[in-house]
Amino acid sequence: MAIERFLQPRASSWMANDGENVDIAMSTRIRLARNLSDFQFPYSFSEDEALKVDKEVSSALLDKGHELNHSFTHINIQETPKLQREVLVEKHLISPYLAKGTHSGSVLLSENEELSVMVNEEDHLRIQSLQSGFHLQEAYQVANQLDSLLEKNLSYAFHEKFGYLTSCPTNTGTGMRASVMLHLPALTMSHQIARIIPAISRLGMVVRGIYGEGSEALGNVYQISNQMTLGKSEYDILQDLQNMTEQIIQQERLAREAILNNSPIVLEDRIYRSLGTLTHSRLLTTEEAATCLSDVRLGIDLKMIAHMDMSILNELMIFMQPAFLQQYAGKPLQPKERDFARAKLFRERLNKENATNEGEEFA
Amino acid sequence: MICDQCGERPASVIVKQKVQGQMTERHLCHVCAAENHNLNFVFEQDPLAIHQLLSNWFPKQQTSMSPVKKEVAVCPSCGFTFTKFLELGKFGCATCYDAFDSQLENIFKRLHNGNFEHAGKIPASYGSTLKIRKEIEELRKQMQVSIEDENFEEAAKFRDEIKELNLQLEGGASDGN
Ligand SMILES: [Zn+2]
Ligand SMILES: [Zn+2]
Repeated sequence: MAIERFLQPRASSWMANDGENVDIAMSTRIRLARNLSDFQFPYSFSEDEALKVDKEVSSALLDKGHELNHSFTHINIQETPKLQREVLVEKHLISPYLAKGTHSGSVLLSENEELSVMVNEEDHLRIQSLQSGFHLQEAYQVANQLDSLLEKNLSYAFHEKFGYLTSCPTNTGTGMRASVMLHLPALTMSHQIARIIPAISRLGMVVRGIYGEGSEALGNVYQISNQMTLGKSEYDILQDLQNMTEQIIQQERLAREAILNNSPIVLEDRIYRSLGTLTHSRLLTTEEAATCLSDVRLGIDLKMIAHMDMSILNELMIFMQPAFLQQYAGKPLQPKERDFARAKLFRERLNKENATNEGEEFA
Repeated sequence: MICDQCGERPASVIVKQKVQGQMTERHLCHVCAAENHNLNFVFEQDPLAIHQLLSNWFPKQQTSMSPVKKEVAVCPSCGFTFTKFLELGKFGCATCYDAFDSQLENIFKRLHNGNFEHAGKIPASYGSTLKIRKEIEELRKQMQVSIEDENFEEAAKFRDEIKELNLQLEGGASDGN
């Protein structure tokens, strides 16, 4: 089945860890919300309309996608088993909302998983472009090209005054949400993050933790994105986000230096304990794994840990999640069993890495 | 939503706090949130639930008590009422934007830092159509002036140009589909 390739425990290219500032800015995502003018939006359309929208968008992209030098795979959500949908969510390829499968919908994925179109999410189309590292302009260009291509073949709901019309008034206008995923351990450790977040929201941007369930951002990973979509052009929105992100990166670097200067042994101890936990424990909860991954990542950035490839840590962040673990165990796992499988995955992946660069199978 | 602490500024951060084993949720503005260093910030999927925001700005009684608004604010295409839009925080279709137009400027201003007009990308097909429509408008005015001046030769020239542009418009529209 076509979906199989996207379920493999193989790194998507956006997890590759390339480019400037990649030690702090892990990945970049652009999302464009669009609707077709001739159909009701997903909150009020009929199942019949949903099917028609899916067909119209899918065939437009499957016909024309090659003009962007990509081939797209069409995955019908309702026909996809629940666990597989969750794997796609964990890989950030679809949203939890689409995974619910409330009505006919699908996702069209490019072969390198950097470009996708969700059909019948909250809007008829959600164009998404994902890139490794900090690449706002590049990610936007790719999404924009796809958008322009589709626009030639589809009739978008557009308004002279309000711009692109979307289901949610928070997206109206450009329909664009741009975000950068940031690893901010030093700002978190030094409690400066609580001071920075309000300042960011004052400037029309939002900060979120990534997939934390508790009271803190899991693994010190934060996502910063634009909140405004009206009144500013895409270019200006990206520019503001770019500037803000650069400042946060700068702050994180200063905080790292300060911690390193003030308590190098305490920091080194913490980093090596976490490395020990990841490579030797028998039970690993999601929270512990995320915390230790954050420490080890910092250890690599600070050159305390050598001979470890950062991209493996990026993969593990994704593969340590519940649906992935179960997909590869080939059976449902209770939480305790997951902790065991997670620990095993980390041991195999990280210890094997010292010997060879292959190591693909786990479970 | 207004800040729970100062009751002045709009809330921009949701703060969850465990007090004697009980989870409480507070909505704070950026100033008050910055003062609460000991609080753990909780990051939600949607930092401020849009329907909560909207229903706080437009309390239910107000919208349902005003018979005039109630009458006007039904979308003829999808049937969404303005009240339903507020409850859900979502539009039902593109026509909703015109149906609720009189209220939207206010809503968008609050959601988008005072902005309510699009300043970004325009679909190419729409862009050229818009340009032609504006040109036609302009020619119509000129034609009117010519007629009033009894300069019928010139008026006929404008009429032909309008005709030409209208043809382009129709052609463009069918290309777009
Ligand atoms: Zn306040
Ligand atoms: Zn409507």
